[in-house]
Amino acid sequence: MEFHFKRAFETLGPSLLDGVGVVIYVTLVGFSLSLIVALLLALGRLSKIKPLVRILSIFIEIIRGTPLLVQFFYIYYVVQIFINGISDMLGFETHMQIQAVTAGIIGFAINYGCYISEVIRSAIVAIDPGQREAGLALGFSEKQVMLYFIIPAALRNSIPVFGNYLVMMVKDTSLLAMITVQELLLRTKTYASQTFLTVESYTILALMYLVISLPLSKLCTIIERRLKQSK
Amino acid sequence: MALLDIKNLSKSFGDLEVLKDVNISVEKGEVVVVIGPSGSGKSTMLRCVNLLEQPTGGEIFYQGEDIVKCGKEVTQYRKHVGMVFQRFNLFPLKTVLDNVMFAPTKLNKLAKEEAKEKAIQLLNKVGLGNKILSYPSELSGGQQQRVAIARALAMEPDILLFDEPTSALDPQLVGDVLEVMKQLAKEGMTMVVVTHEMGFAKEVADRVIFMDGGYVVEEDTPHAIFSAPKDDRTKAFLARVLK
Ligand SMILES: Nc1ncnc2c1ncn2[C@@H]1O[C@H](COP(=O)(O)OP(=O)(O)OP(=O)(O)O)[C@@H](O)[C@H]1O
Ligand SMILES: [Mg+2]
Repeated sequence: MEFHFKRAFETLGPSLLDGVGVVIYVTLVGFSLSLIVALLLALGRLSKIKPLVRILSIFIEIIRGTPLLVQFFYIYYVVQIFINGISDMLGFETHMQIQAVTAGIIGFAINYGCYISEVIRSAIVAIDPGQREAGLALGFSEKQVMLYFIIPAALRNSIPVFGNYLVMMVKDTSLLAMITVQELLLRTKTYASQTFLTVESYTILALMYLVISLPLSKLCTIIERRLKQSK
Repeated sequence: MALLDIKNLSKSFGDLEVLKDVNISVEKGEVVVVIGPSGSGKSTMLRCVNLLEQPTGGEIFYQGEDIVKCGKEVTQYRKHVGMVFQRFNLFPLKTVLDNVMFAPTKLNKLAKEEAKEKAIQLLNKVGLGNKILSYPSELSGGQQQRVAIARALAMEPDILLFDEPTSALDPQLVGDVLEVMKQLAKEGMTMVVVTHEMGFAKEVADRVIFMDGGYVVEEDTPHAIFSAPKDDRTKAFLARVLK
């Protein structure tokens, strides 16, 4: 066996750096949106509107019960067929073509939003009821109490778990190769099949993920420790 | 007209009747201390007064207006009724200063500068002028409770409710909190204080109310209650706590 890591690195490397850009972009946007989705879902499920609670619970069950990869396919290939079909029926000509990266971001926002909403919901429930009572006793409304005191404390307590999900999302971006996003895996696969440097390419790919996720995990641990100290 | 007039107040949790027929009237400037055994409904009575609990029956008149029925003006009403809790319930993510000035800036639209000045003044008054930038977790229980008192005062309430403000504190920290409360009483603050501190009741109260089993069993001046209680339940209770 003979390896050509140097050659593989020199030619695949620059392409993977572009891929890293895609990964960071998708993760940053996807994760930010997923936090917003998660907060809205959590608040919806804590609301007193019974039908809303039911609908959201079912929605979350569906998302959690199906693979993320299938959801990416669904958003990328199926949703646009529906949209174009419906607008056809209404008499419009549309040829909506969703971009693969956009489909990925939407998929992440929804999928991670559902998982993280459970985290936020239990963090909200876990806040000492004395906080609510202190807020109400001062003259704040239930909504203001939620906004000013409960949500900030719950989000802060959830930060360590957010960190875990962030690292997971980085790694899950590899699934986007399946819907043609030019992220790291797809670039590597293309390169490997052209050059037959299979061992070199996939080893470099694995290292690439480590280079991103290890410092990120480390950062999360540091932040977690800081939060514990200042409590 | 009494500032606060509780009439035939009752409260049940499911089948459990906690308050049966409570009548209490508090004049402006009066300090009323409520004593009684555990489970007699003291906290529930206080929590009904600022509608943290919805009464099951009866009326609560505040400056002549029945606030049980007032519905959505409840937040408006609560601004005038401060509450100090057994477990302080400070906001952990806010500094001491922010704990005190947050409500006035948000609810009374007080300018930041003005609110800050007032908050510092109040914190000085409770002896914590040197702690304004600390977080609650950095303070002792007694200090936290004094911040909680300053926080309640910042809304300039007409009446302050205390629910066992010192019973979560180490014995050596109780004194500072009671000192602040005495000072408030001296300045004419209207206060309803649920406490097991009989010394405080004797020294500061204008009137002592003994509750048992969801009723006001007896009320009188501290001197009368402590030296010559009339009801057997009051006698038994005092015999137990004063020994
Ligand atoms: N939210 C609630 N749900 C059900 N029962 C309650 C609730 N709050 C209080 N109770 C019950 O009501 C009774 C009176 O409670 P309360 O806290 O008013 O008594 P207390 O006089 O303040 O006692 P303590 O001196 O122990 O504080 C108790 O039996 C308690 O278990
Ligand atoms: Mg109590």
